Amino acid sequence: MNIQFKKGVLELCVLSMLEREVCYGYELVNEISKSISISEGTIYPLLRRLKSEELVTTYLQESQEGPPRKYYKLTELGRKKEEELKKEWFTFVKNVNNFLKGSVKNE
Amino acid sequence: MNKKEFLGRLSELIKDIPEEEKKDILFDYEEHFRIGLEKGRKEEEIAASLGDPKVIAKQSRASCILKEAEKTTSVNNIMRAIFAAVGLGFFNLVIVLGPAIGLIGILVALFAASFAITVSGAAVLFGTLMGPVFAWEIYIPFAAVVSIPLGIGLTALGLLSIIGAFYLTKFFYKLSIGYLKMNLQIITNRRNRE
Repeated sequence: MNIQFKKGVLELCVLSMLEREVCYGYELVNEISKSISISEGTIYPLLRRLKSEELVTTYLQESQEGPPRKYYKLTELGRKKEEELKKEWFTFVKNVNNFLKGSVKNE
Repeated sequence: MNKKEFLGRLSELIKDIPEEEKKDILFDYEEHFRIGLEKGRKEEEIAASLGDPKVIAKQSRASCILKEAEKTTSVNNIMRAIFAAVGLGFFNLVIVLGPAIGLIGILVALFAASFAITVSGAAVLFGTLMGPVFAWEIYIPFAAVVSIPLGIGLTALGLLSIIGAFYLTKFFYKLSIGYLKMNLQIITNRRNRE
């Protein structure tokens, strides 16, 4: 399996969620852990890496419920990366599905 | 584990990274707890779903230390980065350490040899020029026509090798960092998906 893929799955989910909307950390963790089972704490190191790679930026914004929250926003570079990873992902899934269908026939 | 215990343990585990970075990391988890509590979850429940502080600390430390090694070149930094990567369980220390020590040995030898060539060149040159003055102390078995160009040539060769060795060291340093970085990204995501 493509190594880029292994490391891309969670990254892809984070990027694609940020592509839809600007989020704060808790929101991201909460949404993603609904679909993928992960230790929630490990998303923060990933977010820090995405930030250092300049795929996302952060800013603080006041919330109605209390102190300001740290929001994550996709950069132009992040947008490109998201598109690229998504394309790769769909191709990959399609190929695997085709392969699996083929091997069922052969049995 | 409640909020205080979780943050305390995490803070203890990442105490050796720069203060600024550490504060930043802890801020994220504090915020996570705060919002979780606002949403009506219990501290213990939030801590449990965040996972083991040890795993979080390892990831944060490794990428932070590596970043530092990339910024400031030093043997200490690269060693720390290697150990942090070993801590993540990516590769066996023995497997990496052997070649690493071998490589460092080669580089040291290269520097030593270049230095020796430079010194010997300078000595030949100096000896030839000073020969007539210290006729009793210095004996050069060549004519000055041979030994002066020889001295200059050796000195130049030695200096060039020192420069070469320096660039080679720099190249290997960059290579090691690239290698560690690649490993780190793979491991971070592997852990993330568990």
